[in-house]
Amino acid sequence: MNPAAVTVHLLLTAGITMFCMEPILLLISLLCAVVFFVMRNGGREVGFHIAAIGIPVLFAFINPLWNQHGTTVLFFINQRAYTAEALFYGVVAGVRLAAVIYWFRCFSDLMTSEKLFYLFRHLSPKLALIFSMSIRNLTLLRQQMRKIRLSQRAIGLYREGHLIDDIRAELRIFSILVTWALENGILTANSMSARGYGIGKRSSFTYFRWHTGDIVLLAATVFLAATVIAGIAAGVMDWQYYPVCEPAARRLPYYGVLAASGLLAALPLIHEGKEKWTWKRLRLEI
Amino acid sequence: MLVIRSEQIRKLLRIALPFAIMPSIVLLLPLGIQSQYYALVSFLMVGLALLLFLTGFERREIGTRRMILVSVMTALSVIGRLLPVFKPITALTVLSAMYLGAEAGFLIGALSAVLSNAIMGQGPWTPFQMLAWGLIGFFAGILEKPLRRLPLLLYVYGILSGVAYSMLLDVWTTIWTYKEFTWGAYAAALTTALPMTCLYAVSNLLFLLILRKPIGDKLLRIRKKYGL
Repeated sequence: MNPAAVTVHLLLTAGITMFCMEPILLLISLLCAVVFFVMRNGGREVGFHIAAIGIPVLFAFINPLWNQHGTTVLFFINQRAYTAEALFYGVVAGVRLAAVIYWFRCFSDLMTSEKLFYLFRHLSPKLALIFSMSIRNLTLLRQQMRKIRLSQRAIGLYREGHLIDDIRAELRIFSILVTWALENGILTANSMSARGYGIGKRSSFTYFRWHTGDIVLLAATVFLAATVIAGIAAGVMDWQYYPVCEPAARRLPYYGVLAASGLLAALPLIHEGKEKWTWKRLRLEI
Repeated sequence: MLVIRSEQIRKLLRIALPFAIMPSIVLLLPLGIQSQYYALVSFLMVGLALLLFLTGFERREIGTRRMILVSVMTALSVIGRLLPVFKPITALTVLSAMYLGAEAGFLIGALSAVLSNAIMGQGPWTPFQMLAWGLIGFFAGILEKPLRRLPLLLYVYGILSGVAYSMLLDVWTTIWTYKEFTWGAYAAALTTALPMTCLYAVSNLLFLLILRKPIGDKLLRIRKKYGL
């Protein structure tokens, strides 16, 4: 998929999740994000799931502690009321946080630095160049650091397993690395100028093109998100939490907006499912 | 398009808009209005500030050498962020801003934030981190002369920038968690983040103490040798 279409989808989905407090919408969003994450990662990353589940629990516990609104008192802690409404609000806020974290986790799994570079490119070619060179320098400097470390060790300038010597050695390696990196950078710059960098317009190469699928995704995303945002702005999804919980009016627009947001969150699932199915069919045909 | 004739006003606006006006709107907004849209507005403001600077950067003459040095220093601070517990990223940003200029400082800070988050995980906090580190680098670049002359000022700047970084990110934490900004919630977020704030301040100070002389000398030497 085209990274731009994916980014627009994710930002809108996560954005709606971030700025809406409708429990059912949030729950659907969280479910879709979790399913998408599991579809891509399988059973791995158990620690991440545990941490993500912990968030709503933590919020449910903390919110009533400092939030005194709400009428249904459950019990008192240090003469402060612990209300059911605050508890519920905490759970909803926690679900929202978990959903956004899942979406962003999926996003950073999908967005390799190559794709980030593609997005930056439109902003400013100069900046995109700096960005991609930083990525290149990252691996280059790490390799160079290893080389320096090996040669320093070969000279035998410090003992191993000695804390202070270790720290001094690391600082020394870092210092050598900085000198080398700066000089190397200047060499690169000279070489670039010699080859005529800065004369005329720069063009750039990319793997990503706009296919029909990308345009369909983009159009669907924008349409669905516009529906949901219009619904939220019109107050269709407004919940009242304090002093008494009062759900949004369950009329036709409410269900419409809910369905649109559900579909929006399910778009990546549909795509991923379709790809998985195609893959399976192709393998069966072999 | 609105065209401003005076070159000086244009230049002033170009710097003031992303660096002074937008961040202060973000910070001062909660004083004026108690709106549920505060989170949305602050997000848009942070995004706009970044966008304005980054697109404006395209039209400026920065020089190939300085550009490469920015990418080198960015890569170095990203490597630094992979260290356990103590992170030299702010110290490196500040030091390179002192010798390469304010714009380079902003770029190094903001780019190291995106790049290191590409390794450690992006999140809705990325734009805020970009802005926070970018601003730390930018102001270090503006204050380059006194910072270079008075090491003590540099250390104070390091500690303050650790605190400011934490405070700016806590604005994010507050508005994001509770949708609206209240001083009570902000105070709560600040207190919970107190150990982290101390850690930032201490590691900034520590790395500035260690790195000021060697890295500063190297950057100064490069600057002199190649006439940046």
